[in-house]
Amino acid sequence: MRNFHFLFAAWMAVWAVFFVYQVSVARRVAQLRDEVERLKEQLREG
Amino acid sequence: MKVRMLITILAVGLVFFAGYAALFIAPDERTMHEIQRIFYFHLGCWTAMFTALLLAFVANIGWLVERKRYWDWLSVSSVEVGVVCCTAGLMTGMLWGKPAWGIWWTWDARLTTCFILWLLYVSYLLLRGLIEEPERRATLSAVFGIFAFLDAPLVYASNRLWRTQHPSPVLFGGPSSGLDPTMVKVLMISMAAMVVVTGMVLAERYRLERLRHELDELRVAYEARAVQAGSAVSRASRS
Amino acid sequence: MTTARAAAILLAKELRLEFRTRELLNATIVFALVVVVLFSFSFDPTSAESRRLGPGLLWIAFLFSGSLMLHPSFAREQVNQTLDALRMAPISSFAVLLGKMLANFLFLSAAEVVLVPVFAVLYNVSLAASVGRLTLVIALGTIGLSVTGTAFSAIAAHARMRELLLPLLLLPIVAPLLIAAVEATASLFTPQPTLDRAWLAFLAGFDIVFFTASWVLSDFLLEE
Repeated sequence: MRNFHFLFAAWMAVWAVFFVYQVSVARRVAQLRDEVERLKEQLREG
Repeated sequence: MKVRMLITILAVGLVFFAGYAALFIAPDERTMHEIQRIFYFHLGCWTAMFTALLLAFVANIGWLVERKRYWDWLSVSSVEVGVVCCTAGLMTGMLWGKPAWGIWWTWDARLTTCFILWLLYVSYLLLRGLIEEPERRATLSAVFGIFAFLDAPLVYASNRLWRTQHPSPVLFGGPSSGLDPTMVKVLMISMAAMVVVTGMVLAERYRLERLRHELDELRVAYEARAVQAGSAVSRASRS
Repeated sequence: MTTARAAAILLAKELRLEFRTRELLNATIVFALVVVVLFSFSFDPTSAESRRLGPGLLWIAFLFSGSLMLHPSFAREQVNQTLDALRMAPISSFAVLLGKMLANFLFLSAAEVVLVPVFAVLYNVSLAASVGRLTLVIALGTIGLSVTGTAFSAIAAHARMRELLLPLLLLPIVAPLLIAAVEATASLFTPQPTLDRAWLAFLAGFDIVFFTASWVLSDFLLEE
């Protein structure tokens, strides 16, 4: 197959870009969710 | 929760099907053979990007007209996701250009205007980082976002208005354009897959913005409570 | 008070302010000359090369000095909070913007009037045959630069790192204008200068689109 490695690299590039972005956003969402829960707890107690 | 799981499964399925279609269902192209199949991912990225940037444009107008916070959250989420799509598009373009043309890049109208578009929306994100006050940040970035969107039609039209290194349009182009019907079907599937994935990533980013706002509100409430408690204690100790 | 009259009064104010010290204008002209000279260190152009690379050089010099000159446009108003006074005046926000756009256009043009002959001399380019057409091209380009530059100066004035932010916002937006201006200028630098209608139309179109956008968004640009 001619130029197959470029085709594969392109396929990988697309999904790598989206995957890395999605993971970074999801991580921050999880962190924030924890903090929100923590603050909610503290407000409930106080 | 269940709905989200279902959508994720559908999206993953669509992505795999699109990949399979691009590699095995789509017919072989006459001159470029295998490497041409990047076309399906490449155009998918651009469809997703233009959709995201159009959404951002609508959100910018929405904020200026209505001043409801969700417009601002939508705006920053769409622009960020749009930049991601643009990056992926430029990368696939370069990975196609090197084997097809022998060069990674050229400064023709399509590539230049596209790179400018990328820079514009990155500037949008930088601008947001440099304005602290939330209301003002939303308004000024909305105005800049509207200006930036004025460049988008230029990118789309660039390979119609000028003769470029980049291929001429294959859809809605002139009389000599056109695609094999099977290719069109595979292209539609690829575009759909990319737009769905982009939509999901956008939703997640929007969630992040909404959580940030919720956190800020909680912090304010917490501090207000602490101030109240402090003044109650001092009142009690004085009496 | 009509928008035009208000803009005229504000323009007069800007001009009076600037000609009191002339510091901005002087700095702009000198900076543009510095850019032109610096470029000459990177290549020693023959006549043919000058004609090929000259237009790009000229417009980059305009662009760099212009974006430095545009920054104080709104930044100046923040020092003594004169912008608040302008907001409270019974004039449209577009009048304020228009007054500044006109002022910036005149300042930029003044710098260009000095720069173009100097450039022609230093790079041995003969511009005698195409002075009128060159003026038209430069004027259209400068309008685009002033309109977008003033609008973005209003945006950048409220952010941190203003001096860096304005070029960062301005240069990508203005890049299509730059390309069109360079192409139009290039066709005037040839031994048989011609005025490229297509690029001229593009320049005019750019100016109209961004002028209209600034007019529609003027209230938001000047918001508190």
